[in-house]
Amino acid sequence: MNQTSDKKRGGKFWAWFWMILGILYFFLPLVATFLFSLRAKLGVLSFTAYQHVFNDSNFIYNFSYSVLWGVLTIIVGVLIFVPTAYLIRLKLPKFRLPVEFITMLPFVIPAIVYVFSLVRTFSQPPLLIVNSPALLVAGYVILSMPYMYSAIDTGLRAIDVQTLTEAGQSLGAGWGTILFKIILPNIRTAILSGAFLSFAIVIGELILAQYLVKPAFAPYMTYLIQQKAYEPAAMAIISFALTWAAMGIIQFIGRGSEQGQIAGGH
Amino acid sequence: MTVQNVVEQGAPQARPASRKLSWAWLGLTPFFIFTFLFLLYPASTLGVRSFQDSRTHAFTFKYIVQLLHDPYLLGSYWISIKISVITALGGGLFGFLLAYSAIRGGLPKFMRSSLMTFCGVASNFAGVPLAFAFIALLSPSGELTKVLIALGFNPYHHGFTLYTFWGLSIVYMYFQFPLMVLIITPAIDGLRREWVEAAENLGASSFQYWRYVAFPILLPAILGAVVLLFGNSFGAFATAQALTGGQINLVTIVVGSQLRGDILSDPGLGYALALGMVVIMAFAIIARALLQQRTERWLR
Amino acid sequence: MTHLALSKISKDFGGTTVVQDFNLDVKKGEFVSFLGPSGCGKTTTLRMIAGFEMPTAGQIVMDDVDITNQPPNQRNVGMIFQAYALFPNMTVTQNIGFGLQIRRESRAVIKQRTDEMLALINLEKHADKYPYQLSGGQQQRVSLARALAVRPQVLLLDEPLSALDAKIRVSLRSEIRAIQKTLGITAIFVTHDQEEALSISDRIVVMNAGEMEQVGTPFEVYNFPQTRFVANFVGSLNTANAEVTDPAKGLLSVGGVQFITASDLAARKKGEAVRVSIRPERFSFLSEHKKDNALDCVIENITFLGSVVRIQIKIGDSNFNMDTFNNPFLELPKLGSKEKVTCSKEAVLVLDE
Repeated sequence: MNQTSDKKRGGKFWAWFWMILGILYFFLPLVATFLFSLRAKLGVLSFTAYQHVFNDSNFIYNFSYSVLWGVLTIIVGVLIFVPTAYLIRLKLPKFRLPVEFITMLPFVIPAIVYVFSLVRTFSQPPLLIVNSPALLVAGYVILSMPYMYSAIDTGLRAIDVQTLTEAGQSLGAGWGTILFKIILPNIRTAILSGAFLSFAIVIGELILAQYLVKPAFAPYMTYLIQQKAYEPAAMAIISFALTWAAMGIIQFIGRGSEQGQIAGGH
Repeated sequence: MTVQNVVEQGAPQARPASRKLSWAWLGLTPFFIFTFLFLLYPASTLGVRSFQDSRTHAFTFKYIVQLLHDPYLLGSYWISIKISVITALGGGLFGFLLAYSAIRGGLPKFMRSSLMTFCGVASNFAGVPLAFAFIALLSPSGELTKVLIALGFNPYHHGFTLYTFWGLSIVYMYFQFPLMVLIITPAIDGLRREWVEAAENLGASSFQYWRYVAFPILLPAILGAVVLLFGNSFGAFATAQALTGGQINLVTIVVGSQLRGDILSDPGLGYALALGMVVIMAFAIIARALLQQRTERWLR
Repeated sequence: MTHLALSKISKDFGGTTVVQDFNLDVKKGEFVSFLGPSGCGKTTTLRMIAGFEMPTAGQIVMDDVDITNQPPNQRNVGMIFQAYALFPNMTVTQNIGFGLQIRRESRAVIKQRTDEMLALINLEKHADKYPYQLSGGQQQRVSLARALAVRPQVLLLDEPLSALDAKIRVSLRSEIRAIQKTLGITAIFVTHDQEEALSISDRIVVMNAGEMEQVGTPFEVYNFPQTRFVANFVGSLNTANAEVTDPAKGLLSVGGVQFITASDLAARKKGEAVRVSIRPERFSFLSEHKKDNALDCVIENITFLGSVVRIQIKIGDSNFNMDTFNNPFLELPKLGSKEKVTCSKEAVLVLDE
């Protein structure tokens, strides 16, 4: 533990070495983007690009829609996946394998392929709902499913579902009460961590909104890259700051609890 | 009895398990209906459309045949596999070393939680913003390029460009290694300190400890993680699209251009290409399952 | 013949002294226990012998070789961990053979030695199982075999029984002792459980706050505790405030009741305040036969503990516990009844603070 033999010192050197390399890899592109975003005015560093972004009504419009899609995705996801994961833990372990297989499918099927088959399926009668925002949200729910489901399942694993349910039953609670008043509050950290990951996915997702022709952040940014130079840099920094804030909130809320968190997709 | 009834009142009493089970599965119907409608059914049309002429809807093998004979299309699979293998192994190795350094390297405690937050952010920081960040860093007029030129070394005079294979690999690494850190951390946490001590106590050097104990114990987790990283990069589209504007002939980009529906494209071929991707992913996952079976006999 | 010698061992962790001035000579084949509460430095001392910690000061000598600064993988000591620490990726046989494999023994030797060890711990049937398929007790036996397979000079056991069920704990403890005697191996055993230490050891080192309190056989440590800490920690004990009334005759007053003690009071003054201690089993009812002290008491409470019945009695204003053997044919006194109890003057100990 407290040894200062040469061997341990060597290990510490390498630990620092890899850590510093990781930090550089992580921060250099961000620093470069930030510097770039400050160059909107010739010869001086300024926040002009940021002013432009925040004064751009299109940015506000697209971004608010992305936030709305994100929130809807989280609500639908929680409503579908919490009862499913709970029932499987409590009563239907037989369904664990098929359900987990399905929830992991979006990992296996490349997002672009999935999006096209989704759009194709729902763009011809009798399933002509391609213009409904519901399809967009359903697509987001599927794309974020691997993260949402496994976050919820991890949360349920950490609490004693059986005992909590039986305690609820012995006090005369029905299933609805047990699920929403007992189970849900006990896994809120897990749900929040799943929620923020879903949110990050929705904000960064490009193709679904692009092909359904719905207002969203990522398509707007792609469009802007072709038009302008400095504003997209400012937007990249803003979107990064937002992701960071979301992760920070997860960390803050999840402090002390030992729940795993998984990363998002691309 | 409706689902609502079961969920709301289905009296929670002590009954024989078999009777409870007969109704409880109804609670899973929303999940199955939802995933069938929005995932399983659309995905299954992939299989059908790969064998269907885009215009006549007649059954055909022509897309599969075309796929297997067109060096351009086969090449696109090869490039995607190559970049996925390289970034999965590279990102896997670097991510592992980082995670191990943070957890067991004797670094200050806050380093670990900072690393986890970094990785949570970075693994979600992909697509357009990521491509843009690397353009700002490493394009011919990027900030790092400028610094390197000022130091007398212009990478663009030494065969490097951001917009080709190796450039894209460097960009992909940005979300690959953080994902590895996040996935492998629980496994490294699971390495118990007593195992090192028991091994040392029995005379093992630290190399022997790694060779006989730590590596075999971590192997299933590492394999699983690397396959996940492979899939993560194999299906990536937005980053490459934004960075190279479709210059690199990755299979996702080819699929995208075929499905987009412009004049030169053929959706049927796009679906066949996509089916091929799913087959490759399936192979990766089966290979991983077989390897894991061999490597984790000792697991519960 | 000294086999393992610890001299003036100290250990600091960032300014906090965990072990101080630890001196101990262990003879070949001896079974020594380190007994003390958690944080007393017993495990740290053991880990210094194993080489996992370096002493801040002092010297460790084994068979006349100074091993103080030897790395753990070059010392020939076997270690048993509280949490078994079996390698989960290896079968029972592979675990036992690990140390031999590292020492590049031939296959034949490894085979012969692991078979021998499997027979010793009686787990031949489980040779090809993985650790998760074994019970805790079985895992700890494998861990014992693994440590013994390399024929270590000393066997170190770090609370090896703490994670086990009460029944297994007792049976494995005698098994460990039997194997240790058969092989004639020197063993050092760390525990916080006084019953364990008393039952298994040739000698006990009682430790507190990094220092040795007393070293002796189980008999000595239990019957003649030298410090108040030892008296309290080993076995259960009644203590009471007392006043010296006659140093020459060994008379004390406990809340006005007179006690006679065999402890030497010559150095004490009349009227000096002291603490007296009496083990619960040293009391008995007067009807049997009178000893030095005959005392009036009131029965306050009776607790049935199986083989022993613990009776809480009040002598004067002080409460004492008294243990008697359970006898189904003997009637117990009624609560609140007045009785007479007795104890010998040797049982009344006057301890240093």
